Amino acid sequence: MELKAFKYASNYIIQSQEEEIKRIALELHEGISQNLYSLSTGMEFLQSAMEDPALKQYANEMTELMKRTIQEVRLLSVELYPTTIDTLGLISAIKSYIKLFTSSFGIVVDLQTTGREMEISEGKSLAIFRSCQEALINIAKYADTSDAKLTILWGLNTLTIHIEDEGKGFELEEENSRNSFKGIAAMKQRMTNVGGECMLHSEIGRGTKVTLQLPVQD
Amino acid sequence: MECNRYEQEKMELNELFLLDCSELRENLSCDFTGVALQQQIGIDVNWPFVCGNRNEKYKHLLVRYGKGIAGKVIASGSPMTINSFPENILGKTTDYPIMIAEKLISAYAVPLFWEGKPKGALLIGYRSKHNFTTEEINTVRDGAKKVEALLPSYFCSN
Ligand SMILES: Nc1ncnc2c1ncn2[C@@H]1O[C@H](COP(=O)(O)OP(=O)(O)O)[C@@H](O)[C@H]1O
Ligand SMILES: [Mg+2]
Repeated sequence: MELKAFKYASNYIIQSQEEEIKRIALELHEGISQNLYSLSTGMEFLQSAMEDPALKQYANEMTELMKRTIQEVRLLSVELYPTTIDTLGLISAIKSYIKLFTSSFGIVVDLQTTGREMEISEGKSLAIFRSCQEALINIAKYADTSDAKLTILWGLNTLTIHIEDEGKGFELEEENSRNSFKGIAAMKQRMTNVGGECMLHSEIGRGTKVTLQLPVQD
Repeated sequence: MECNRYEQEKMELNELFLLDCSELRENLSCDFTGVALQQQIGIDVNWPFVCGNRNEKYKHLLVRYGKGIAGKVIASGSPMTINSFPENILGKTTDYPIMIAEKLISAYAVPLFWEGKPKGALLIGYRSKHNFTTEEINTVRDGAKKVEALLPSYFCSN
């Protein structure tokens, strides 16, 4: 396939997949979650009117299961898609993902932001967000460390993001030759598709640093 | 039931949980033991008591209902075994935070009941492949009974 056609196709695949994921996440977040919430409130109301202690206890258990389900649906939707990325912005989406990440993997992320957040298109925000997600999950899976650092720098014309760890590190060449670079390749492809770049640096015993760069205008 | 507890008693209770964990680890010579438990207030489940941990990650972990080994054990109320993580698991590897955080390859977990409902899980794990014997399983079940005996005090103290 021609390079241009290939780029077009990969862009299209990513986009349609993202749209589908977004649809499901929104349905979970706005449709199902809201309904469950109403059910749970209704249940508590019914429970308060019950007199039989056994029934009351049973209703209580149901309320608890309902609350758990609401929590799980909410987490699932955060995991799937940052539904607030276009309203609250990239940083807010990254922040709520980091919370979920720490509670999922026990890794504490030191987040630092400098400069003023600029408005960028949803497609660009999403490419950054997905790349951060991939880099963080790689840290959880392979770096063998309890800490990570995420730095966001809003420059005049460029947005730069570093995702770093001081963990195991790895041999770039070796992994490359084993063709086991799927996640990293996808990250690079996503960044290129939106006119940005993704760079990787790793050293055995010292850690890994992923750098994302994206041109932005005020 | 009398629900007043002092800090002193709470600390003693924590030590009793930890003692059960370390006793079990010694008896089975396993690498890791941990108690996942619903918090006294609210519905969140995490890992308040562990033994043999290789880092502090467990402190931040939230057990998700129906996910991972502890989440599944609590949701179903029945035991679960993993012999060689991440082979043949249900769901993604990242659904098993305690296995990843503690680099466990095999684990066995049983539910912990309070007032007839599963409120937590007791887990033992190895950092190598392991086939759990009936004897080991019985030892864990006895351990779970000891931990369950502490739950009335745990859920009444706050
Ligand atoms: N932060 C990191 N620390 C150590 N090794 C890493 C890190 N990120 C990636 N790797 C190594 O690079 C390989 C490729 O990563 P990736 O392309 O994301 O694929 P996958 O996550 O599907 O294995 C991993 O299998 C791992 O060996
Ligand atoms: Mg990856």
